[in-house]
Amino acid sequence: MLSIDTIAVFYKELQAIWDVSLDVNDGEIVALVGPNGAGKTTILRVISGLIQPSAGKISFQGQNISHVPPHKIVELGLSQVPESGKIFTGMSVLENLELGAYVARARKDRSASLARVFEIFPRLAERRNQLAGTLSGGERQMLAIGRALMSEPRLLMLDEPSFGLAPILVEHMFETIRKINQQGLTILLVEQNVQASLELAHRAYLLENGRIVGEGKGKELLSFESVRSAYLA
Amino acid sequence: MSTKQIIYLALIAVILVGLALFPFMTQDDSTFNLVILVFLYMTLASSWNILGGYTGQTNLGHAAFFGAGSLATRLLWVGGFPAVPSILAGGVIAVALALAIGIPAFKLKGVYFAIGTLALALILNITIGNVFPEMSYNPAISDYQIVPRYYLFLGLTVITIAAAYFLVNSRWGLGMMAVREGEEAAESLGISALRHKLLALAASAFFAGLAGSAFAYYHVSYYLNMPFGPEWTFDPMMMAYIGGTGTVIGPIIGSIFFVGLKQLLVWNVGEYHLIIFGVLFILIVLFLPGGLVEAWKKYQRWFTRWYQRRNTSPRNVIGTGHLP
Repeated sequence: MLSIDTIAVFYKELQAIWDVSLDVNDGEIVALVGPNGAGKTTILRVISGLIQPSAGKISFQGQNISHVPPHKIVELGLSQVPESGKIFTGMSVLENLELGAYVARARKDRSASLARVFEIFPRLAERRNQLAGTLSGGERQMLAIGRALMSEPRLLMLDEPSFGLAPILVEHMFETIRKINQQGLTILLVEQNVQASLELAHRAYLLENGRIVGEGKGKELLSFESVRSAYLA
Repeated sequence: MSTKQIIYLALIAVILVGLALFPFMTQDDSTFNLVILVFLYMTLASSWNILGGYTGQTNLGHAAFFGAGSLATRLLWVGGFPAVPSILAGGVIAVALALAIGIPAFKLKGVYFAIGTLALALILNITIGNVFPEMSYNPAISDYQIVPRYYLFLGLTVITIAAAYFLVNSRWGLGMMAVREGEEAAESLGISALRHKLLALAASAFFAGLAGSAFAYYHVSYYLNMPFGPEWTFDPMMMAYIGGTGTVIGPIIGSIFFVGLKQLLVWNVGEYHLIIFGVLFILIVLFLPGGLVEAWKKYQRWFTRWYQRRNTSPRNVIGTGHLP
């Protein structure tokens, strides 16, 4: 579904990503894990078109999207939940969700999508008329995911959905992600929470200093000695 | 329709009828001039607010669009063109100018738009002053009537405010606010920031241009570069901030408040009113970023709490047997 072929990314003169290739197949949960500053968020930003790769190619459902502007990429069915949500705090929960269904493709089904989001996150239905800025951290993350679901994506990219959440909420969040995946949505997950994401993911890539240093089945990677000693010890 | 909406609509209708009948109540030219000034400011502040308040793009050269509209209209009209098409041409010219500066400036992120518009207004102010150094006289000067000009400004103000209201409550308006709240987050939802900024800019410039056109039709004699002066940017901007940016009512309240206070201060302290306005502006930006609209909301919340506390305080409950 999504295929990244040996991309390189620079911030001005500074190279952040070297020769990264990864694939996400239909129906999978793929995790991209690694420490702070490894380049995980950069890779998501490149995929969403917010920055451009200087080499390599990104294709989504067979179409080259390396230089397509971000708003057109959403139209193609590739949505991102940015780090720490980036919800519109000055607007109501409902307005935030409506903005999720902004693209023409998603607009016609927006009442059905809204019902679906409220079914996944009943909490959002309770707070629909509240200002998004008054939500708690967990609710904000729900809203960010709900907003992305409103665009009817085929592939959903999540940037650190566990960021800033209490452990019990993290568990709940990951359970929700699994549920959304079982309903047929392909997921690319970027996480620092290595244990939880490797347990959740079908496959995973390990990123360090802008390079892929390991890949495999999620649970397999969890048993790797290097991963264990680096992240879990 | 809720009761609240009916009350609002009735209130608006009463105000509009009152304003429409106003010329039958007074013959005094200076009263007309004052009300026309308020209308002009309402149009400028509301149009600035579409881009500055709702879309979050700081336009420091609104005077350029106001001036372009007035210049086009005045030249056409003095040149013998009928008034109505001359006035419409003013709005169109302003939009063309806005897109010419907006398309390159918005492609760059950051402060380029603010600097670009500031420079544009300054350059035009100086250039027009050099190209047209002579005073321009109203072609209708021998048969000048204030009442039709009053209605022109009233109509323009109503249209501007209504357009702002419908625009910001539309899907486009929602997208504009999303761009203000976070450009990248908006882009990642499929909202083209560039397109929304340009739309807001075009709408903002169009009404500022029409305000300039009405000004050109109204004013008896002035130097053609006068409408390009920085006060036509910063006064309306201050009004939008005083009233509350990002609200439809804010610039309306702000304009009335500004003109009223200015009149009061000019009578009492003369030139020193400029200092007072400067201080007021800083205080509002620092302590009341939502302007008078926010102050009113805060007061309402405070009042509700005070009222509830009063009615639920133990002494009261015991004393009157009154429970909330």
